[in-house]
Amino acid sequence: MAHAGLNVFACEPEYAALAQEIAPDAKVYSATTAMQDPHQVQARPSLIAKMRQADIAVCAGADLEIGWLPMLQMKSSNAKVRSTDQGLFFAADHVETLDQLKEVDRSMGDVHAKGNPHLHLDPYRLLKVGEALSEKMAQVDADNAQQYRQAYADFAERWQAKIPQWEAQAAKLKGKKVIAYHTSYRYLFNWLGMEQVGDLEPKPGLPPSTSHLSQLLSRANQGDIAAVIITSYQDDRGAQWLGERANIPVLQLPMSVGGNKQSQDLFSFYDSVITMMLTTMSK
Amino acid sequence: MKTLTTRLSSVAVACAMVSMSASAQDSSLTNPNISAVLDGYYQSGERPMAERVEGFGLGHTEFAMSANIDDMFYGKVTAIVEMHDGDTELGLEEAFIQTLAMPGGFSVRAGRFLSDVGYLNNQHVHTDSFSDRPAAYRAFLGGHYFDDGVRLDYVAPTDLYWTMGVEAFKGDDMRAEDEHGEREFENVGVYSAYTKFGGDIGVSSSWQVGLSYLRNENGRLTAHEEDEHEEHGDDDHGHDHSHAARYTGENTYIADFVYKWAPDGNYKYQHFTLSGEYFKVTDFAPLDEHDHDHDEHEAGHDDHGPDDLTGWYLSGVYQFSPNWSAGLRYGEVDTQELHEDHFHGQKLKETEVSLAWHHSHFSTVRLQYTNQQGTNFEGFEDDNIITLQYVMTLGAHGAHQY
Repeated sequence: MAHAGLNVFACEPEYAALAQEIAPDAKVYSATTAMQDPHQVQARPSLIAKMRQADIAVCAGADLEIGWLPMLQMKSSNAKVRSTDQGLFFAADHVETLDQLKEVDRSMGDVHAKGNPHLHLDPYRLLKVGEALSEKMAQVDADNAQQYRQAYADFAERWQAKIPQWEAQAAKLKGKKVIAYHTSYRYLFNWLGMEQVGDLEPKPGLPPSTSHLSQLLSRANQGDIAAVIITSYQDDRGAQWLGERANIPVLQLPMSVGGNKQSQDLFSFYDSVITMMLTTMSK
Repeated sequence: MKTLTTRLSSVAVACAMVSMSASAQDSSLTNPNISAVLDGYYQSGERPMAERVEGFGLGHTEFAMSANIDDMFYGKVTAIVEMHDGDTELGLEEAFIQTLAMPGGFSVRAGRFLSDVGYLNNQHVHTDSFSDRPAAYRAFLGGHYFDDGVRLDYVAPTDLYWTMGVEAFKGDDMRAEDEHGEREFENVGVYSAYTKFGGDIGVSSSWQVGLSYLRNENGRLTAHEEDEHEEHGDDDHGHDHSHAARYTGENTYIADFVYKWAPDGNYKYQHFTLSGEYFKVTDFAPLDEHDHDHDEHEAGHDDHGPDDLTGWYLSGVYQFSPNWSAGLRYGEVDTQELHEDHFHGQKLKETEVSLAWHHSHFSTVRLQYTNQQGTNFEGFEDDNIITLQYVMTLGAHGAHQY
């Protein structure tokens, strides 16, 4: 293997960005962009071709990619990324996920029994994932193990310095009530002490329905909702409808790195999310 | 041979499914994925060579179980329950193992599985956007061609997706009609080779093209004998509802393409799929037929024997919201039917429109209209058929192919 020339297949852009922090010389490919719903991805030829060449595959896990990752693994015939014993890495395996379910029934919608997989907007969890990923890289590419650990230590230092700054900035957001789309920002709200009191999806995975929106409208008319928040890959029609009628601002936040112009890496992505929320909600 | 009518075995399968369901919640890669597909319909007529009958009926009711067996092998079993003339039949559509850890991009699949020729063939019927496969599939591959055999596949380590593979199959369902039951068929009847290329165009579009060749040692028809008695009515009925290919030849060539588009590559709300395939089947006429041909003076093709069998289709499906999708498909099949010692050309054209409502990823209700125009086609003439169908899946959330 060439010097630190790890070939990384990331399922989502946040893990591509994290992998790049820990392995700056690696060739990193992200299977999805922040404009694409990672639940619904086509196991398309280009992804098979990329996975075929990967030394390591970095994904959220907790079944987020269950609809396409197994097919890519099957089709790409790359033994290196078959199992988590080797080059396959699931972020959710290394932290405790929120909202794990004991009983799962499809009448509940397309729920994740293993808990919410959108964990990259919790800076503490992301840090733990980064540490585990650096160990995984050290295992896969033992010759350069020290470099990965060093790069992680450097990233962790910068990241830990940012956390209190973000928390201080976002202090005004504590206790704010919002309506959001899916549980995409579950970890963000949990971290900043915000509360999601309504979901545009009647059930996980189902699109907003008219009857469900009118229920949300009567909830919103109580007057305590600070914003309707959706992600960069979610359709804004339901949110706009609700926002106009209830006179609440609608905020489309980036879901990941690349979700807007400002979000170039994990740091600027967090900066952008917090700045956007402050601009909209601290009136 | 592929169908067991034993009621006992269907009960056994059902029991196996139930006892495994406890672990099905954790659908990780190392635990079995268990799923069932329910398919029911009402239709106002019958499409030639299709399995669905007029009136109420059940399509493939499918039970599937798959898992990594260990770090080297993956296994999958798909059982299908079908109704044929009032009998409940349990069939095995898939029962295969596949290697997981061969080096160099190679993999081997063995057992009973769907051949990787063409675009649609390796996909499960319940994922289709129309209630029946295109006429070309029904004519030349028996709807979908699965068989007992072995495959070697290779994926190249290139940014442009490039895969190629070879397969060998028993080929029982691809045997030419043998009305006297006297023919000695080859035990390994079918060999195939395929290659596929694919990639992205920008962030919104992706594509794949494929070329396949299928060699069928038993595909050539046997000559009719002098004491032939016309029993076509009965014969045809048996064929209509089986998995066997209706028209076979020694050589089949398939070219296929698929193009998919979604805004920003986001498949959550809208996406569009355009696909098409072309089939050419040659060397199907009985070998001793050529001598007779000179006397026959059939217009158009006196010296060369009958024209090759061909078929094609073009399909466009647009999902315009998470809940609704619409599809348009046109296809043609040109075949030759052996009548005593000469061939009669016949043609089938199908224009189909489908509208589907998806309450979630797991439930679909589809309304389909088919206009078929047959020219001498097995007694099928112009017809309009309406199908109302549901397809629902329960259990593990299976990953879909491109």
